[in-house]
Amino acid sequence: MARPERKLKELKTAELRHEVGARSELVVKVNRRSERRIIPYGEEFLFERLPVGTRVIYPPPPLDPLADPDQAIRYALLHPENQDPLFAQLSPNMRVTIAIDDISLPLPQMRRPDLRERMLNQVLQTLADYGVDDVHLVIATSLHRRMTEAEIRRAVGERAFKQYWPDRLYNFDAENRAELAMLGKTDHGEEVWLSRRAAESDLLVYLNINLVPMDGGHKSVAVGLAPYQSLRHHHNVPTLRDSHSYMDPTRSALHRSSDRMGKLIHQSLKIFQIETAVNTNMYGGMLDFLHKNEDQFTDWDRTRLKGFQWTTRNMSAEMRRTVLHNYAAPYGMIGVWAGDTEAVHHKALARVFQQYAVPVKGQADILIVGVPYICPYNVNSIMNPVLVQCTGLGYLFNMYRNKPLVREGGTMIVCHPLRDEFHPEHHPSYIEFFHRCLAETTDAVELEKNFEREFARNPTYIHMYRYGNAYHGVHPFYMWYWGEPARQHVGRVIAAGCEEPEVAARLGWEAADTLDEAIAMATSELGRSASITYLHLPPLVIADVE
Amino acid sequence: MSVYAQRKTSNGHAPKALRAISRRAAFYDLDGTLVDLNLVHAALFTLANLGEWSGRLSYLLGFAARIPRLYIAEQRDRRLLNTVLFEAFKGVSRDRLFSLGEEYCERILIGRLYPQAVELMEANRAAGIEPVLVTGSPDFIVAPLARHLCVADFASNRFVFSRGRATGRLAEPVMAGDEKAVWCEEYAAEHGIDLKNCWGYADSHYDSAFLAALGHPVAVNPDRRLRAAALSRQWPVIHFDKGADLEPLPDFDDDLNLNHEIER
Repeated sequence: MARPERKLKELKTAELRHEVGARSELVVKVNRRSERRIIPYGEEFLFERLPVGTRVIYPPPPLDPLADPDQAIRYALLHPENQDPLFAQLSPNMRVTIAIDDISLPLPQMRRPDLRERMLNQVLQTLADYGVDDVHLVIATSLHRRMTEAEIRRAVGERAFKQYWPDRLYNFDAENRAELAMLGKTDHGEEVWLSRRAAESDLLVYLNINLVPMDGGHKSVAVGLAPYQSLRHHHNVPTLRDSHSYMDPTRSALHRSSDRMGKLIHQSLKIFQIETAVNTNMYGGMLDFLHKNEDQFTDWDRTRLKGFQWTTRNMSAEMRRTVLHNYAAPYGMIGVWAGDTEAVHHKALARVFQQYAVPVKGQADILIVGVPYICPYNVNSIMNPVLVQCTGLGYLFNMYRNKPLVREGGTMIVCHPLRDEFHPEHHPSYIEFFHRCLAETTDAVELEKNFEREFARNPTYIHMYRYGNAYHGVHPFYMWYWGEPARQHVGRVIAAGCEEPEVAARLGWEAADTLDEAIAMATSELGRSASITYLHLPPLVIADVE
Repeated sequence: MSVYAQRKTSNGHAPKALRAISRRAAFYDLDGTLVDLNLVHAALFTLANLGEWSGRLSYLLGFAARIPRLYIAEQRDRRLLNTVLFEAFKGVSRDRLFSLGEEYCERILIGRLYPQAVELMEANRAAGIEPVLVTGSPDFIVAPLARHLCVADFASNRFVFSRGRATGRLAEPVMAGDEKAVWCEEYAAEHGIDLKNCWGYADSHYDSAFLAALGHPVAVNPDRRLRAAALSRQWPVIHFDKGADLEPLPDFDDDLNLNHEIER
């Protein structure tokens, strides 16, 4: 038998620092001879020339995937962190619940077999071998939309689907009062609610995919299987304003709160956590040029880019969306750990940072980001303006440790067409939030005070969440709060390539027709010597800003 | 006015208390929205149960003769459809219609209500959003259903009777298309309600004007054209499922008043 543990060796902090420190070539300065740069722009990609002196930060290349993911998972189950192996914790009459990360991860969806399917098959086989029959599989959607039957089938695989759907494989319902249990309050007064099925189980197995360091840990159970009553304690304006950043759990009030809740859950529930990490191999095959430094483009890369741009530009919006969302990324698994939540997460985090971290010296006056067609909340759906705001100010701004990439009072340029379009079945409450609430105020505190409860308790939105495929009524508020640290930090946000300036105005942003115009607007205030940084996507990168 | 509002007082106005309290309302279409039946089914049931066998046959044959006109009317205008459909009831006594309406409601209609629709209606009511039915169905069918659903106010079509028998004509305004929107505006003005705060639920593109008049329009199991309109106008789309199993209703209190005991 091969020894997957050799691939899973724990990285010492010094080793990690050394490895990450060697990535200085991933920070590139644009000069006069530099090639144009690819910038995500909704469902298209721009190819734009950036001003001389612009600093471009590239994501690290994908780490080598584990050669045999199934064997690595098996090894993790047999050699867990700070717990007995899974089989040793089982007895025939016990009640087991398996909670599974939902469709918000990974992005884009990964090629089959999905990691969830791989983990699930082995966990279910172990449970069957030890005679455990009372098993439920719960998709940990929290307040996200219910996954459709086809989406669940794709994530969990045919074997589990055929055996458990629909009676013992289902989406978590945060509004089903019979399916909720309150476990207590943390010492900060946070109410901890949880799926009743999970709370009453003898063992909860959580199957996680870590795409970014924000994921996993106590957050998996304490958020994924929790209703609004729990989430409101950390998905609120003060907590999110005190998170610097979401990608740095040690400096995130959001994570501190979910950790407190997770610890309380651990007091009454036995949890066997399985965390996996994937590499940055987001676009492979004909699209692998998207990962490249454009200065190293070959003619073949340029041809493929032109072809891709031409194709996406000439498709109908609906077809383009379908094609892009059906794309499956060739992610490779770079780690899997099982056992005690904190021990597991500690190792997973180290591996994730090893994949994503790039050292960057100093902040910039202007930060350019391109918002792609996908974020965790619009899989198989439309990227509406509130989600563009969440992706730009919430996620991409927060792709840092230590300090934000842009200085306080600086300018963020967000590239996206920003159209007033929403999915009426997935994002019904977003529509009202955008047209009614944001028309009154963009102040998160005011929004929280005046509207949040009304939306959270709106019967139609609750109905659509429970029986349809809609995000919970309160979800657009959380997306708005998510951008709050950036709004507090930057002085100005300019939407570059904005097709509907009134949409930008509704978000409190300025609009520019082109990226050049946006840069001119920014430098007109900050001066021509203003430093500019472009965070190159795809795939993903986390800047360790000195 | 072909509107039936149970709470109206003898002088035709809503009680003051109602005006003061009801600030939000939810207006529901009936056929295809709350129930998975349509007007034609109700008409056929009624005609098939009128009089003796010979009489029934004559009514049904009369109805069959109208099918081409009904088809053309359906393609063109909902008001025309209602007018043509209800012509078939010419000569039927008022008493018979209302007794058949009760029977149809009890035997058929209640059993065909979407459970999720009823749940949503109750949830809205619990949240202080009073239900109102706005439908093209005739009042002899809507009245017993409204009683069953504890809906105080509704707007429906009403036959013109002469000497106790239906003339085959509908009293103006005929509840279809724009008239529904007009009625909602009048109802809102009368009850001191701002339509911007009101919800509307309907399934047909003929109800677009009705939905557009309300602050929170929702397309329910929409037909192709209403779905297109909903996508274009950014109206939420709901699907009610006849066979859906209902889970317990959510509690609208913050503390959820749940059983905190954990069984293991």
